[in-house]
Amino acid sequence: MLALALALCVAGCGLTVPSDPQGTLDRVRGGELRAGASASGELVTIDGSKVGGSLARLVEDFADSVDAKVTWSEGSEEDLVDGLEAGELDLAIGGMTEATPWSDRVAVTRAYDAVPGARGPVVLLVPLGENAWQAALEGYLDRKLAR
Amino acid sequence: MKTMGRTDLPAAQQQALRSAIGWEWFTIGYTLVTIVLIAFVVGGSQAMKTAWIEDMLSLIPQISFLIALLFIRRPPTRAFPFGHHRVMGVGHLVAGVALLAVGGDLAYEAISGLLRAEHPSIGTVYVFGQTIWLGWFMVAVMSVIVIGPFFYGHAKAKLAPKLHNKVLYADADMAKADWTSTVASIVGVLGVGVGLWWLDGAAALFISVGIVWDGWRNSRAAIRDLIDQRARTEDDARPHPLIARIADRVEEFAWVRETAVRMRDMGQVFHVEVFVVPVDVDVRLEQIEDARDAVTQLDWKVQDVVVIPTASLPDEAEPAKRQPSASGA
Repeated sequence: MLALALALCVAGCGLTVPSDPQGTLDRVRGGELRAGASASGELVTIDGSKVGGSLARLVEDFADSVDAKVTWSEGSEEDLVDGLEAGELDLAIGGMTEATPWSDRVAVTRAYDAVPGARGPVVLLVPLGENAWQAALEGYLDRKLAR
Repeated sequence: MKTMGRTDLPAAQQQALRSAIGWEWFTIGYTLVTIVLIAFVVGGSQAMKTAWIEDMLSLIPQISFLIALLFIRRPPTRAFPFGHHRVMGVGHLVAGVALLAVGGDLAYEAISGLLRAEHPSIGTVYVFGQTIWLGWFMVAVMSVIVIGPFFYGHAKAKLAPKLHNKVLYADADMAKADWTSTVASIVGVLGVGVGLWWLDGAAALFISVGIVWDGWRNSRAAIRDLIDQRARTEDDARPHPLIARIADRVEEFAWVRETAVRMRDMGQVFHVEVFVVPVDVDVRLEQIEDARDAVTQLDWKVQDVVVIPTASLPDEAEPAKRQPSASGA
């Protein structure tokens, strides 16, 4: 119950969340969000070392909401999944959908169809089992992209 | 349904059978609702997935009971001289093997997930403008559906001995133990909620071991009846008391020196062979017929009886208890 109480109410929205076995949300808050990017149309653009695109901006806004700064790294989808599994990344984007074949190895968020420039619903990848972290991200996206 | 093969069902059994059919249909309806409800919330929890598949498996005994009933009512024919009673045993075996196989697979999944330290992910859902952790819905659904099996489990457990139906008995027995799986899945989900990721896998393992155990017990019981073990009570706890009663009853006849009985469970009804060593070498036809009648009067389950005069009793047949009888019958 104590762990539950600690994990309650991330952004003052009355949202109830579980906890992170690896403590991702607590570590990111007020610190660094290590995000991975794989280029995908207008959603994720990579220009030299500069990561942009509508999905990348959403991640940066989310980082703001937990007072964190995003450190981007770039790679193929498999590189990003390896990074999430190894605990080197907290989040990965690349225009993946619910049909992503990586769902055994990483957690997949709900699909969001209101992401600007997306042709269909897109998902974000987070480490397996970091449920408070995933809930915080999904909660933020729900509010940001509210229908 | 008034008959079962060549057996006329007494009023109490007809009533129990109608009631059992009603409960089986109710259980199927209830279970289908729970399967749909769990489908909405199953998420990334192995414990929930295991409990969900267990619910699907729990339909097999009910379906095989209802299908078997269509067959066993048929009277015996030349082609099927013993009737179709064994269909119930085949259904029992199918249910047992399905539980064993799927339970084993689920146990393997749970163990390998634990060994790989796979942390279960349970996301959120967006309802009425709120983002709510899916785990709360899992707990809510499981808390609601835990109630049903108590009712139908106990109802069927009362009917099974009346009908001497082992499928019904096993079904009731599993329903009565179903709450342990449901509670385990709730514990697993709440464990994930507080960050104890391994509780989910442990709960899944607990549930799947339960499924394997049910599968083992049912397969074993079904196979033993199909290979004609001595008839036992519907809970397989002890040899059926009718064996001794039949042997004692036939030995009451004055022309009988000693008797022994071989009785197998056809599924609901028994097939009885009574070996008789007569006092005198001259045995009359009506004496045999009288003995047969006396046995069939004992119980509705023993209508398929043969009485065989013989010089000595076979060792494997169950002898009468050799109480000197007062009445000559």
